Amino acid sequence: MDRHNVNTKGYEYCSGCGICLLVCPLWRKTRSMPHTRKARARALQGGATIEDIAASIDACLLCGSCEPVCPEGIGIAAMNMEQRRKLNKLRTNYPSWYPEPSGMKTRIKDNVLHNSIILIAGEYPEEDIEVRSAVIELLGGNKKVSLAVDDGRDIAGLLEACLSVTQDRIDDFTRPLRHASTLIVSEGLLHDPLRKWLPGKKVMGTGEALLSSTYIRKALGPEDLYIIECRGYHSDYERLVKFYDRLRKETGCQTNLDLQRIAIPTGASSLQAKKDIEAAGCLEQARWIIKGRSMKRIVVEDIADREVFQRVADVPVIHVGQLSQG
Amino acid sequence: MHIPVFERGIIPPDPVAPDSLKGIPRQKTNPSRWQGDNWQDFVQDLRSRGVTVCESRADCSVFMTDAGGVAYGLSHGVVRPNSAEDISKVLKAAQTHRVPVTTRGGGLTTEGESVAFGGLLLDMSSMNRVLEINTDAMTVRTQAGIFWHQLAEILRRDKLDYLSAPLNLTASVGGTLGVGGIDVNSPRLGCSADQAVALQVVTPTGNIVNCSEQENPELMERVLFGYGQFGVITEATLKIRKFTPITIQYYYYSSLRTAIEDLQFIAREDASDYSGILTILDRAITLLVAFDSDDREREFNARWKHNLRGHGEAGFGLRMAWHYLLHPWRIREAAYIIGRRFKLFPEFWRSEFMHNGKIVDRTVVFSRAVWKFWGGPQMVIPDLSSKAEKFAEAVERGNAVCRKYFRHYTLYCVGIKLRGKLPRYEMSCIPPDASDIAYGCEFEPMLRGTNYSRDYLQSFKNEIYDIGVDMGLSYYRFGGMMKGYIRRAMGNELVDKHLAMKKAADPAMILNAEVIF
Ligand SMILES: Cc1cc2nc3c(=O)[nH]c(=O)nc-3n(C[C@H](O)[C@H](O)[C@H](O)COP(=O)(O)OP(=O)(O)OC[C@H]3O[C@@H](n4cnc5c(N)ncnc54)[C@H](O)[C@@H]3O)c2cc1C
Repeated sequence: MDRHNVNTKGYEYCSGCGICLLVCPLWRKTRSMPHTRKARARALQGGATIEDIAASIDACLLCGSCEPVCPEGIGIAAMNMEQRRKLNKLRTNYPSWYPEPSGMKTRIKDNVLHNSIILIAGEYPEEDIEVRSAVIELLGGNKKVSLAVDDGRDIAGLLEACLSVTQDRIDDFTRPLRHASTLIVSEGLLHDPLRKWLPGKKVMGTGEALLSSTYIRKALGPEDLYIIECRGYHSDYERLVKFYDRLRKETGCQTNLDLQRIAIPTGASSLQAKKDIEAAGCLEQARWIIKGRSMKRIVVEDIADREVFQRVADVPVIHVGQLSQG
Repeated sequence: MHIPVFERGIIPPDPVAPDSLKGIPRQKTNPSRWQGDNWQDFVQDLRSRGVTVCESRADCSVFMTDAGGVAYGLSHGVVRPNSAEDISKVLKAAQTHRVPVTTRGGGLTTEGESVAFGGLLLDMSSMNRVLEINTDAMTVRTQAGIFWHQLAEILRRDKLDYLSAPLNLTASVGGTLGVGGIDVNSPRLGCSADQAVALQVVTPTGNIVNCSEQENPELMERVLFGYGQFGVITEATLKIRKFTPITIQYYYYSSLRTAIEDLQFIAREDASDYSGILTILDRAITLLVAFDSDDREREFNARWKHNLRGHGEAGFGLRMAWHYLLHPWRIREAAYIIGRRFKLFPEFWRSEFMHNGKIVDRTVVFSRAVWKFWGGPQMVIPDLSSKAEKFAEAVERGNAVCRKYFRHYTLYCVGIKLRGKLPRYEMSCIPPDASDIAYGCEFEPMLRGTNYSRDYLQSFKNEIYDIGVDMGLSYYRFGGMMKGYIRRAMGNELVDKHLAMKKAADPAMILNAEVIF
C-alpha cells in the first residue's frame, strides 16, 4: 500500500478505539495515557493545541507501529511527523536529543553507482565494519552490489526530528542511486522517503534482502529469536507481514512480532536512544521481547539492536549478516 | 431518516418524527455538567495527600466521549492512580467535598457511561500490571485497568490465555467485570464477570476491601455486573486456561429464526466451544461454530453437524443466486451481500493469523474486523437479552425495527452460560427469568458515512428497548437504556432496592452516580 496516496485521514477521524496504544512502546514505558497517539488525537479533537501535547509529540519514537493497526486507516506515521514539524515551528528550544538544525553534513559527493543493487548501510560502528562486508558478500559481492558512501544518516536524523532537509541535500543523496533498481537500506526511516524520491525503485531492508536467499534462511531455526527492524517493516506492512510470516513458517524461528503482528521496537535506532539508550526505554523493551521465550541465539536486522540485546540477554546476539558464519 | 443541511437563516420543518421517543417522556439521557462546587478544596485536599490531579484541557479532553461518540462531557480533572491507596484517597476526599467521580477503563461504553460530566475522572488504564500468574490454580492476578489484549500478550508468553472477553482488544478488565463481558465462547464459559475468582475493590467511601465468593461475598456480588456503582475494582484474580488455536466452520442461512434455533441447539448440546450469529442482511446470516481441539470438532462433525440447517458457502451462494433471479428488483441487495462478503471474509483468513488451517489469536482477528467494519466515530449498539424461549421473537422484532430505521445493519447473537441464580445477575444484563443459558443480541446499524441526528438514533434505541419492556427482557450491555428505562424495564421495587443499597454504600452518591440512578 502506498501510504503517500491513501492515508490522508487526520486526527479528526480517530474514533478512540485505542488499538494504536496497545503497540506503542511509550505506552509500555510510561503507562500514561497522555503519551499515546490516541490521547494526542483526542486532545486535539477536544481543542488542545499542539503545544499542549508537546511532551507526547517529542516522546514518540517514530517506530511506526501504530499505523498498520489503525482501523480507520489514518495516516498516523505521517501525522506524527507533521505534528512534530508544526511544533518545531512554534519553538526555539528543541529537545536535547535533536540534531543541530544547522548541522547539515558537509556535502558528500558520491559517484554515480552503476550496480543495479545499492546498499545504504547506515551506521555500522567501527568494530562492525566486517559485518557490513559480510552483508555485501552475502548479497553477491562488490561486483553485484555497490556500497553507497553517502548513507543519508544526517537526513534520517533530520527526518526524525522533523526538521527540514534541503532539496540540494536530497539531490546529492539520491543522485548516485538513480541507476539502481534495488536499494537495500538499513535505516527504516529512509524507506518511505526513498520510495517517494526515487519512484519505481525497489526499497527493502537488509534483513529482507538477505533472507531472500534460501541459503541464509536455512541458517535460521526454531531456537533463534529474529528481531525485525521495525521502521522499515511498518512502512511496508501489508507486504512484509506476509514475507516474515513465510519466514517464520519455513524456518520455525521466533520473531519480535506481537499478537497483532506488529514488530515490537526496541527504539535503539532512535535519536533519543543515541543520546541515552536506557532513558529511551530500549532495554525495557528488549526485556519484554525476550520475556518467557526460550532461544539459543538472537539475530538482529538493525545493528543498533545488537548492543541492546547483548545487555539484557544471556545468549549470543548476531547481525543477520553474520548468519552464514554460524 | 437523513437530516438535510439547511442554510443559515432558514428554519426548516422539524425533522424529528412525531412518534420518536414514543412512550417515553422526553428526558435528558446525559446529565447536565456538575457545576464545580468545592472543586478547588477537593484538589487541594488530594494534592496535600500526594495525589496528582491533571486539569489541563489536553488531559481532560482525552476522555470527552466514549466509543459511542454520542455523549460528550468534560471532567474538571483527571487522576491516573498508581495504586488502590490513591483511589482510596480520591474517594474519601470526594465523599467529604461531594465531588462526583467517574471511573473509566477502556471507555468502550456507547452511551456515555464512562464519560465524566464534570467532576473527577479516574483513568484506570494506568493500573495495568499483571501481578501474578499461578499455573497450579490456573489463575492470573492483575491490576484491573489492564486491557484484555495486554493481558493476552503477557499470558501468551506462557502459552496461556484468558477465558472470555469482549471482542474489541481495548476493553479493560475492571470495566468489563463491571458490565458483564460477552465472548463467542460465552455459551460455554459464561460472562467475563463470571471468570473472576477474587477482587480488590475500593468502596465508594474509600475502604480497600478484598472480596471473593468466600470473603465479603456481598461486595463481590454487588461489584460484578455493578456498573461501577459499588466500588472501583483495582485488582482481579481471573481464571485462565491453556492457549489453543481454533478451527472455525461457517453455516449460512436465509432465515433468522432457523439460524437462531440452530445456535440454541448448539449451545444446549454444548456441541462446540464457540458459537455466534452475525448477519450481513437479514436474509444472509452466518452462524459461526468453532473448536479448541480437533477432538471436539470431530465429535461435532459426527454427532451434531447433520442437524444444522445452514448451508456451506457454495450451496448458499447458489440459493441466493436463484432467489435474486426470481427477485431481480432486489439486485442491489445481492450486490451488497457479495461486496460485504469479499471485504469482510478475507479478514478472517489472513495468512499471518493462520497456522495449519487454524486461527491463531482469534481475538485479534475478530476485534480487528469489528473495529474495521463496524467501528467508527459514532456507534449505536442497543441490545436485548432474553431467556431461550423468547429470544427468536425478540430478535425478529428488533430486526424489524432495524429495517425500519437503517438500510444496513448487523445483528450479533450469542449465548451466555449462567452460573445458577446469583445475586450479581439481579438488575444486570442477565434476564431475570433465564436459567442455564441466556441469549443476547446486539442491533448495530452501519453508521460510517451516514449522518443521522441524535434524536433519530435515540428513537431507534427506544424502539429496541420498548421490545425489552414489552417482552420482559434485559439488555445485555445495558447501554443507554439505564436512565430512561431503568424503572420501566426493571420495575420500581428492584430499582428502589438497589438505590437503597447504593445510598448506603455511597452516602454522598459520588461514584458513577449518574449512570444508573
Ligand atoms: C466496537 C465494540 C465492540 C464491543 N464488543 C463487545 C463484546 O464483544 N462483548 C461485550 O461484552 N461487550 C462489547 N462491547 C462493549 C464493551 O466491551 C464493554 O462495555 C466493555 O467491556 C467495557 O470495558 P471498558 O474497560 O471499556 O469499560 P468502560 O467503558 O471504561 O466502563 C464501563 C463501566 O464500568 C465502569 N468501570 C470502568 N472501570 C472500572 C473499574 N475498574 N471498576 C469499577 N467500575 C469500572 C465505568 O464507570 C462504566 O460505567 C463492545 C464495545 C465496542 C465499542
